[in-house]
Amino acid sequence: MILQGLTEVLQPMTIILIAIGTVVGIVFGSIPGLTATMAIVMFLPVTYSMTASEGISMLMALYIGGISGGLISAILLNIPGTPSSVATCFDGKPLADKGEAGKALGTGVVFSFIGTIIGIGLLMVLAPALCDFALKFQAYEYCALTVFSLSMVIALTGHDMPKGLISAVLGALLATVGLAPIDSKPRFTFGLYQLNNGFALVVLLIGLFAIAEVMSYAETVRQNQDFTIRSNVKIKGVGFTFKEFVGQIRNAIVSALIGVGIGILPGIGGGVSCMISYTVSKNTSKHRELYGTGIMDGVVASEAANNGTIGGAMIPLLSLGIPGDAATAMLLGGLQVHNVAPGPLIYEKSGNVVYAIFFAMVLSAIFMMLFMLLGMRFFVSVLKVPKNYLLPVVVVLCAIGAIGNANMLFDTYCMVGFGLMSYLLIKSKVPTVPMILGFILGPTFEQNLRRVSQLTSSDPFWNHPIFCVLIIATVFVVIFSVRSNLKDAKRAEQAELEAMQKAGSDE
Amino acid sequence: MKRMFALLLTLAMVLSLAACGGSSSSSSSSTSSSSSSTETSSADEGWPGKTINVYVTHAAGGDTDYMARQLCTALEGVLGVSVVATNVTGSNGATCMQQYKDGDKDGYTFIATNTAALNGNEATGMVDFGYDAFEPVAVYGIQSGENIVVPADAPYDTLQELIDASIANPGQIKYGTSTGGGVYIQTCVLTNLGGAQFNIIDAGDGANRLTALLGGEVDATSLPYSTAADYIENGQLKSLCTCLSKAPDLIPNQPAASDTVPELKIDTEYVLLAPKGTPAEIVEAMNAAVLEATGTDDWNTMVNDYCFQNPFVLNVEDTIANLKEQRDLFQSFVPFL
Repeated sequence: MILQGLTEVLQPMTIILIAIGTVVGIVFGSIPGLTATMAIVMFLPVTYSMTASEGISMLMALYIGGISGGLISAILLNIPGTPSSVATCFDGKPLADKGEAGKALGTGVVFSFIGTIIGIGLLMVLAPALCDFALKFQAYEYCALTVFSLSMVIALTGHDMPKGLISAVLGALLATVGLAPIDSKPRFTFGLYQLNNGFALVVLLIGLFAIAEVMSYAETVRQNQDFTIRSNVKIKGVGFTFKEFVGQIRNAIVSALIGVGIGILPGIGGGVSCMISYTVSKNTSKHRELYGTGIMDGVVASEAANNGTIGGAMIPLLSLGIPGDAATAMLLGGLQVHNVAPGPLIYEKSGNVVYAIFFAMVLSAIFMMLFMLLGMRFFVSVLKVPKNYLLPVVVVLCAIGAIGNANMLFDTYCMVGFGLMSYLLIKSKVPTVPMILGFILGPTFEQNLRRVSQLTSSDPFWNHPIFCVLIIATVFVVIFSVRSNLKDAKRAEQAELEAMQKAGSDE
Repeated sequence: MKRMFALLLTLAMVLSLAACGGSSSSSSSSTSSSSSSTETSSADEGWPGKTINVYVTHAAGGDTDYMARQLCTALEGVLGVSVVATNVTGSNGATCMQQYKDGDKDGYTFIATNTAALNGNEATGMVDFGYDAFEPVAVYGIQSGENIVVPADAPYDTLQELIDASIANPGQIKYGTSTGGGVYIQTCVLTNLGGAQFNIIDAGDGANRLTALLGGEVDATSLPYSTAADYIENGQLKSLCTCLSKAPDLIPNQPAASDTVPELKIDTEYVLLAPKGTPAEIVEAMNAAVLEATGTDDWNTMVNDYCFQNPFVLNVEDTIANLKEQRDLFQSFVPFL
């Protein structure tokens, strides 16, 4: 069966489809506004007429390419190409600004590959065992998990903690627009049916990052500065040394495991995994103060995690028939169309397809690394295009992405609105990243909280040890971070005082 | 000052861009509607002369989308023009239906959806219009339906035993539902007309209800047959009945829920609609094309494999009668939805 799967993938036609899928995925991923999910949605109907192995191989290639491609615009433009690469901006862009765009890209690409491979490895070896873990997560556990994730990321935003909280709550509020979970009551729709579905994540994302980036760039447009970044963009090999690579191995493995873990849990997804992994990496690092200034560690943490999520999300999809996010929901449809029913019997009934999926994933991961390393020089040349030509093109692409999301022009208005909101937030120094997290996790929290309230009469919370542990952990995170926040504030005050005294004595 | 100016400039640029998008789309729709007014006079003669757009109410990957796309492909062979399927998703199909119910009436715009969404959204009050806000063209298939499933080791083997068990222990049997759609209607009928006394838990869409059932969060739920089939086969779950009015043609040996609760009939049929006011000749011509396109062996095989059903395609009159029958049934549930 394994050999049969391998031979199905090694057909020339399948290899070509995987190559095409990977390239298209990378393009979709790298353009802000077009996401991996959209690439899969567009190509899914095309695969209806292919054989099961061909169709699924192509969809997998689109998925892997799409998640990986997001790092390009995150690093070069500070605009995440997909929700999964939000955290790649944190260190990728500063690294590129230092003139090391090649190193940032190379790091992102290679560790995306490693993250994907670790994810696929776990998928192949441990899928059935990990499924039991996924089934343990029900309403109670999700409730606690979302609270824990949110508080951890907000708590660790550093001295801006109150502003991080404001941002996350705003995100959660934005997510309440549309039909409510559970009872489908419309909320904050003002009678507009376009708002019944709520705001789309991709529309919020391009508004927050792309439009705001263009606007803050426009501030400098009349300052007669040089619009191109004349950085040293020569790239040697993959952009970093072997020694640097070895130094990142532990970070990469931990990040990929976080990615896989979050991938296994349906409904959370790559947008969250990159941020959690970045925070964990930062807070377990010996040089946490360097995060955000442009170091490899940050890029590795984000990219290894979001690609690890791919393998993780495939575990419940294949073994239980439960999709973890929008992209895998599409894949589920793609499998069912070819009469491959994901679930407990998939290995017995369609084992060849399962192994074909594994090999197709490995092959497209290899293609992804090859194409992106080869294309690096080309990507970097984007920086040579004067930004006053480049950014309007980006805005147009974003608008296309916003319309393409649900075929509604209405979404472009939302995009502009979010851009203005984001610009104001940036001006008042409110970080916008927690907002994305609040937007993704808020509805998960609400839905599961309401389920818990239905369950609680016959199934009290002390029957759920995972829930209790997570809630206690949340309390600790909050206490710990508030304390260190207060300490930091005191220290900053003292430093200021000393500086003033020093300035006074200098006079 | 310069900064403000630059900001205003960007704003103007961004807004003009959005405005461009707006004007271009409105101009394109105005041209097509003007062309429709010239075409309607000789509607049945020139039709179809250009690409036909079919808007699908549910997302790619689902059964409504798959069936719609199969129909589009088959129609291309019959009509000789391109038939393009586009997904406009959200709110169980309501977004798309709202957007296109008053769309271009020139015979080049159609909506592909399913009857449970069309009649269900009206019954639950999600939308304030029914099938009569459209020109129904054809029912062209029937889904393999949802089954009421329980873990294999559960003490009940029939729907009646499940209901009796819930009456014996009121509020103790947790039943997973999904508020809003067909499953919600089914749960309401089960409790209000069937007398079941479940603790109703919202457990989300089909995949989430499956997770909840396997993880023990709910004791019983309904799942699409295609989702549940493997778990039934490997002995983890058992099916009590189908919620279709009769078992699918290819899996006939199943009791129907309506044997126990007569009103519990949730038939999800795939249906093609045209915007209100589309000329009757075009609707008839399209229906004829659908009948021809679905009369092939290929269609037969596809429906057998995908829906476990035999082909089920109706003419315009029967389509409307069919929609009316289901609407009347669903409207009778309105008091307790």
